[in-house]
Amino acid sequence: MAVVADAGTLYGLLAVGAGLATGLAGIGAGMGEQGIGAAVVGVVAEEPGFLGKGLFLMLLPETLIIFGLAVSLILMFAWTPFSGIVTP
Amino acid sequence: MLRPVKMSRVVVAGSKNVISPVVEKLHELRLLHIVNYNGSQPQFEMGKPIGKAKEYSENLIKLRSVTRYLELNKKFPDKAYPESQVLSELDNLLNNVGADVTATYERIVAIDAEVKSKQDQIKSLTPLAVLPLPLEAYYGYDSLATFVGTATTPVDADVARVSPVNEVYSGSAKNATFVAVFVPAEKAGEVSSVLSEHGFSETSVPKLEGNVDSAIATLEGSIKSLEGEKAPLQKKLADMKKQYEDQMLATDEYLSMQTQKTEAPLRFAETANAFVIEGYVPADQFSRLKSELESAVGGRLEVSLIADKETDELVEKGEDVPTQMDNPSLVKPYELITRMFAIPEYKEFDPSLLIFIFFPIMFGMILGDIGYGVMSLLTMVLLKKKFKTPGWQQLINVVLISSVWAIIFGIFFGEIFGPLGLWGKVMGQLPEHELEAVKVAGLYFGEGVFGSLGRIGFWPGIDIFPMDRLASNAVLLLIGTSVIIGIIHCSVGSILGIKTELAYGEKKHAYFERLPVMLVQVFFGLLVLGLVIGQMMLVIASAIVILVAMVMLVMGPEGPMGLAHMPFYVSNLISYLRLLAIGLASVGLAFAANQLAFYVVMPMLSGGATDSAEFTIPAIIAGLVVLLAVHFINFLLGILSPFMHPLRLHYVEMFTKFYSNHGGGVEYSPFGHVRRFLKA
Repeated sequence: MAVVADAGTLYGLLAVGAGLATGLAGIGAGMGEQGIGAAVVGVVAEEPGFLGKGLFLMLLPETLIIFGLAVSLILMFAWTPFSGIVTP
Repeated sequence: MLRPVKMSRVVVAGSKNVISPVVEKLHELRLLHIVNYNGSQPQFEMGKPIGKAKEYSENLIKLRSVTRYLELNKKFPDKAYPESQVLSELDNLLNNVGADVTATYERIVAIDAEVKSKQDQIKSLTPLAVLPLPLEAYYGYDSLATFVGTATTPVDADVARVSPVNEVYSGSAKNATFVAVFVPAEKAGEVSSVLSEHGFSETSVPKLEGNVDSAIATLEGSIKSLEGEKAPLQKKLADMKKQYEDQMLATDEYLSMQTQKTEAPLRFAETANAFVIEGYVPADQFSRLKSELESAVGGRLEVSLIADKETDELVEKGEDVPTQMDNPSLVKPYELITRMFAIPEYKEFDPSLLIFIFFPIMFGMILGDIGYGVMSLLTMVLLKKKFKTPGWQQLINVVLISSVWAIIFGIFFGEIFGPLGLWGKVMGQLPEHELEAVKVAGLYFGEGVFGSLGRIGFWPGIDIFPMDRLASNAVLLLIGTSVIIGIIHCSVGSILGIKTELAYGEKKHAYFERLPVMLVQVFFGLLVLGLVIGQMMLVIASAIVILVAMVMLVMGPEGPMGLAHMPFYVSNLISYLRLLAIGLASVGLAFAANQLAFYVVMPMLSGGATDSAEFTIPAIIAGLVVLLAVHFINFLLGILSPFMHPLRLHYVEMFTKFYSNHGGGVEYSPFGHVRRFLKA
């Protein structure tokens, strides 16, 4: 059975995929940051001078979102695999 | 500039009878970074303190305890004191003023303790009010045991069961029953266990007399009078702090300096009649050190330079050559960022100059807004006047320079407090039909507004600038730009890495670990570029180079395990997308603020008016409040994330290529003291 979908549906699926890429990556980064954040708050309570370094450490897992966002951007703006398949 | 200052190893040797003038002179010169003598040679022993070392350190301890009572902190000096004045007033300050401060402080502490104990008494007295007994009835019995406290259930029946002779009083207090049980002393054990079954918890009764309410009133009265005594004492301490703050800090400085000087010989090597000081001095300052020292003691000592070769041997044995970073004043603030990571080792590169080049550009690219840029510039100028300590000044200067770049990028991006805002109104809009033509040609990069130089097309016919960062062409262009910045950034790091490894004589690490990384990153970029522009030759050539680099990695010090790092090198480059991504997030928020204010709040509150001329005054005010609130939050985030993310790009992506692989260095800290509160 041939899968028939119009361009609008495909574009919609693409957008859902892009959303999932950023969103799930965000959840992952958040889970990574929660541990670091708790530890940083603990250290800052003891030694306020650590705040700068602590904030910096908080950023390390944020790269994950950037990866997700990169995938989203490619999906939304630079990826046109369906252009050939889609026929009205 | 990329290298730390060149250091020379020096040995100062002399007769012990000139040790004090030598120490004095060294302290004044602030040139020699002393290497502590570790007692490893049998013919030398460690030096002993000279002069009144004990007296100085005792005075210092005395002074420090007084300054602690006054809660004095390091601050920027308001006034400098001459040494003679500090010395003449030292005795008075330590003994009279110090004793006064100590007495006042101790009285305040005592008052606090007394108030606390009286408050505790009131707390335990309050529930007793429900029982009809005077306070003296609770204590002073020989043959009776008393139990006073709260119980969860009535206790009368059970107490009567174990001790027929008893007196039980009870009254209801908050969520529990308050009971006082009197039984013969010999029944105490049994009654206690019965009471515990009823959830009894004992309260201590203060040994006071009379009725509960009047006892509480008396206690409250005396707390009040104690508080009344405390207030003027606190004011007195505050006044004394104001009066003596600078003088005390100056005295602290004087005593610290003296202690430093008198205890300096502990770091020297000594024989019965001579002393030897070893250390490092910036190479170009050696002759100055030599002539100054010799003139100070009339030539009765020997200052000699040690050959580089001998120094290298010592370094191999594990001695650290101190590092003094050498940067022009414009770059100096960025040493803060280097220092936060680690002090460079003597043989390593000092990356401050690179941070100076890349950091503000990255900050600017992320923030990229004229409005926010000007705001952060003004904020920093204000803070610069307020926070005068060197650390703050450096940090403020870093953000200050970065803000200028934010304004420059703001011009490229056509943003004044976000897109869709002021820029189009200030610069004028492109005519509708031209805009359509640009869109049809696929060259639409923004709102189609005029640039500051008229209609900017860097390349005639392509209206790229000012671009709207939310337009899809602009996003693609910025993705490319981010990755290109990443490749350049990482490559510079790799080149320095190769040079550093060569400086340490690690050829294998240089050519088979650092070089392939750079090749992989550069040609990965070219490969993607080839795919994008459809040049298969470029793709194939890049792929071959990447393969060669991978083979080199396998031949490298880590062997096939070296390949395991490949994803890391690629993710390094993707990580630079944050330059675009963080910026987009902040543009998004600014865009939302403007939309909300101009297209939702103002029209709705004006009863659905669509033309800005019809907006009512309350609607405009409400809109402005929304604008201010959201833009303020965005501004705060807009300072923090453009600062932290480039920081990460430097620390994680760039520094790992060349920096601190051999452990951090030791900072050059010459023997001496920077006078802050004392006049020279």
